[in-house]
Amino acid sequence: MYDLDHHDTDILILGTGGAGLFAALHAQQTAPEGTKITVAVKGLIGKSGCTRMVQGGYNVALGGGDTVERHFMDTINGGKWLPNQDMAWRLCEQAVVRIRELENEVGCFFDRNPDGSLHQKAFAGQTADRTVHKGDLTGIEIINRLMEKVLASGVEKLQEHRAIGLIPTKGGDALAAVLMIDMRTGKFRLVRAKCVLMATGGGPTMYKYHTPSGDKTMDGLAMALRAGLKLRDMEMVQFHPTGLLAGDHTRMTGTVLEEGLRGAGGQLINHAGARFMFDYDKKGERATRDVVSRGIYAEMRKNNNPEQEGVYISMSHLGPEWVPKKFNGMVKRCADSGFDLAAGKVEVVPTAHYFMGGVVVDVDTRTAMEGLYVAGEDAGGAHGSNRLGGNGVANSTVYGGIAGDTMGADVGKMVLRDPDPNVLSREMERALHPLNRTPDTVMPLRKALQDVMWDEVGVMRTKTGMERGLSGIAQVSDALMDVGVDGCNLAFNLTWHDWLNLRSLCDVSEVITKAGLVRENSRGAHYREDFPDAGALDKSDYTVAQMDGDAVSVTREPVAFTIVRPGETVLPDGAPETLVAAQ
Amino acid sequence: MPMTTDQIKVSIQRGEDRTDVFDVPAYENQTVLDVVSWIQQYADPTLSYRFACRVGMCGSCAMMVNGVPRWTCRTHMSKVCDGDTVTIGPLRNLPVIKDLAVDMDPFFDKWTAAEGVHHPSASRDDPIASIDPETPQRVTANAGIECINCAVCYAACDTVATQPDYLGPAALQRAWTLLNDSKDSARTDIIDAISGNDGCHNCHSMGSCTVYCPNELDPMSAIAGLKRETATAFFKRRGNA
Repeated sequence: MYDLDHHDTDILILGTGGAGLFAALHAQQTAPEGTKITVAVKGLIGKSGCTRMVQGGYNVALGGGDTVERHFMDTINGGKWLPNQDMAWRLCEQAVVRIRELENEVGCFFDRNPDGSLHQKAFAGQTADRTVHKGDLTGIEIINRLMEKVLASGVEKLQEHRAIGLIPTKGGDALAAVLMIDMRTGKFRLVRAKCVLMATGGGPTMYKYHTPSGDKTMDGLAMALRAGLKLRDMEMVQFHPTGLLAGDHTRMTGTVLEEGLRGAGGQLINHAGARFMFDYDKKGERATRDVVSRGIYAEMRKNNNPEQEGVYISMSHLGPEWVPKKFNGMVKRCADSGFDLAAGKVEVVPTAHYFMGGVVVDVDTRTAMEGLYVAGEDAGGAHGSNRLGGNGVANSTVYGGIAGDTMGADVGKMVLRDPDPNVLSREMERALHPLNRTPDTVMPLRKALQDVMWDEVGVMRTKTGMERGLSGIAQVSDALMDVGVDGCNLAFNLTWHDWLNLRSLCDVSEVITKAGLVRENSRGAHYREDFPDAGALDKSDYTVAQMDGDAVSVTREPVAFTIVRPGETVLPDGAPETLVAAQ
Repeated sequence: MPMTTDQIKVSIQRGEDRTDVFDVPAYENQTVLDVVSWIQQYADPTLSYRFACRVGMCGSCAMMVNGVPRWTCRTHMSKVCDGDTVTIGPLRNLPVIKDLAVDMDPFFDKWTAAEGVHHPSASRDDPIASIDPETPQRVTANAGIECINCAVCYAACDTVATQPDYLGPAALQRAWTLLNDSKDSARTDIIDAISGNDGCHNCHSMGSCTVYCPNELDPMSAIAGLKRETATAFFKRRGNA
C-alpha cells in the first residue's frame, strides 16, 4: 500500500545538535574500521536543533580557583538535589576535556582576555567565572565548526528525515530499527542499525510562549514513551523570564531576549509602570531565571488590561547609545520585529526554554533497551529540577561524545536485528492516520494545546489547574484524531508534519502534567502554589513515567546521593561560598 | 514605511512556470516567514518551505523576496511590501526541492571543497592556546567567523549564476578565516583548494555578497585577501623551485 524503503547501517545517529554531531565524530574515532555511520536529521545537518541557538556559553572549570568539585556543587544546588549525581559529576569532569577538544581539534575560537587566555564569566547560580563563550553567539561557533567536521568526514547523511518510531525486536528487549519519513519525498524509510543514538533534543514547544527552534516537537521523547522506556523528571520545564511578545501571528513571539540584559541593569516594568522584581527577591531583576519568571507571571495575573499581556523590559536608562554597543544582536533582532530595545521598552513574557526531563540512561548513555543510546536534551538526570545557564551545551557535547565512544566500543559486539512487524505496521498506521480523514486546519488545535499548557501546567501550578490541564490536553488530543491532512502529495508536506508534531506534543504534554501532579512540592522549575515548600532535601525523590498498558503511569524513586548528601559539600573545608566578585 | 492595507497580495513562485497569489492578513509585527507560514497553515496546506530557529541563527529560511535574497525570519514585511504586494521565490543558484525549499548540498559541498574545516595543530590533551585577540591576523580571522551559512551571498552572486562550479563567497570567506587562524595547520592545502579553476580568481568583485549579507559580513574583502595570498604563495613557490 505505502512504499517502505529498507536501509541498513551500523551506527545510526538521530539529530545533529551538539550531541548528535559529537557522537558522529567520536564514533568515527572509536568504532572498528569499516563501520558505517549514518546521521539522520529532521532538518538540515547542523541547522536544526537548539545547540546552535546557545547565546551565553559553555560551563567548564578551568582553574583560577574554580574546580570540577565547585562546578559539580553548583550543578547539584541548582538542580535542587534532584540530579543523578554520577551524571552531573561526569558532565563537569568531561567538560574540561571537551572544551579543549572544541578549541584544539574542532577549531572553535572562544573569546580571549587581553593576555590571550580564555575569557570566562558567571551566570546566575554559579560561584565562579566559569562560562566560556564566543560573544553572545556561542552556539553558532560550536555548531558551525562541528558541522564542517561532520560534513567533511564522509558519514552518510539522511537530511530531512524525521524519525517517527523506534521499532524493537519481537521480544522487545532490543532496538532493531528506526522508522522514518523521508520528508522530501514523503516516503517511509526503515533504517536498521546495530546501535542507535537518540539525540533529537527536547524543546517544550507545547507552550504558548517558547524559545526552541521551530522544528522541535519532542518527537524523541514521544517515541521513547511508546517504546516503553522510562522517562524521569518529566515535570521539569525551564522557563526563561524574558521572551519577546509580538502577537500570536508571528514566529518571533517567545524568542529569547538574553539574560545579560537584566545582568547589565535592565529593568522590568509592570502594567502600572512600576518596577516590581524587588517585591519578589532582594536581587531584583538579577535573581535566577525561575524566580524572575514567577515574578513576571504573578504581575501578569494581577493585570486586567487585555492590551498588555506581558511586562516590559526597559534598557533606555542605561543610554540609548550604550545599549546597541553592548547588545548589538538583541537590538537588531528587536528592530527587525519592529521594537526599539535601546531607547524604548519591549514587551516580554516568560517563555518555555529547556526540558530537564528525559529518558533514564546510565553514565555511558546506555538505556534499558539494547542498541539504544540517548544523549543531550533527550536524556534526563544531569540537571535535576533546573539547568544552570551554560550547562546545556556542556551536557549535549559531553554526552554526545560519550555516546559516540560507547557505540564505537559496543558496535563490534552487536548485530543487525529483525524488527517486530506488528510494531512497524502500528507505527506506520499512526503516521498515516490523518491521511484517511477529511482535511482541516491543524494550527487552531496547536494553539489550543499551547493555551492549555501555558494556563494550567506552566510557570505556577496547582492540582486543580493540572487536572483541568489533563482534560484540556485530552480534548485537543482527541480532536486531532479527527483532523485530516490532504495526502495527494506527501513530498515536503509540512501540514502532515504539523499533524505529527502536534501528536508528539500532545503525548508528551500529558506526561508533563501527570508528573507535575505527582510532585507535591516545589523544586527548581516546578512550582506548586498548593505545595510551595521544597520538602525535605534528604528525602528527595524523582518522578519516573512509563507506559502501563495504554496509560501513562508515574511513580517516584528516591534520589541516590552517591557523591554528596544534602547539607554536605565536596569542596574543601574553608572554601569560600563564591569566587564571583559582588556586582 | 507603514502598511496601509489589511491584506497583502503575496505571489509565491512554485516551480518554473507557476506563480500562486494569496491574500494574507496584514499585522503590525509580521515577517516574511510569518506570511509564508500563514499561507501553508491556513490557505494552501501543500506549500513547502524550510525554517528552523526563526531568529536569524540557523540560516535555513533564506528566500528571494522581490528578487533579492533575504532571511525571511528577520525581514519585517514593512521593509519589503511594495504597496500591498510582495513576491517570494526559492533561493537562487540552488536546485529547488519543492516550492520555496532548495537543496543546500551543493553549497555545503563547496564549503568542504574549499577546505572549510579546521585542520588541527593540537589535541584535546593539549592546553588551549594563548592567543592575543588584538593581533591583526586574529582580527581578520574574526571578521568572517559569524557566518551562519545561510547561502544569501551565494544566491546574490552573479558569478555563481554563470559559473555553477565556482566555490562562491561563503566557502571562500571560510577559507580566508582559516588561513588567518593561527591554530590551523593546513595552509598549503587551503591555498591549493581555493586557487584552482573554480576558486577565488573567478570573483569579479561585484560585491553583491557583501551588500546582501544579513550579518553585515564582507566576503568580497575576504576573497580579495585570498587573491593577494595566492599570488604571494605562487611567487614564493617559484622562488623555492
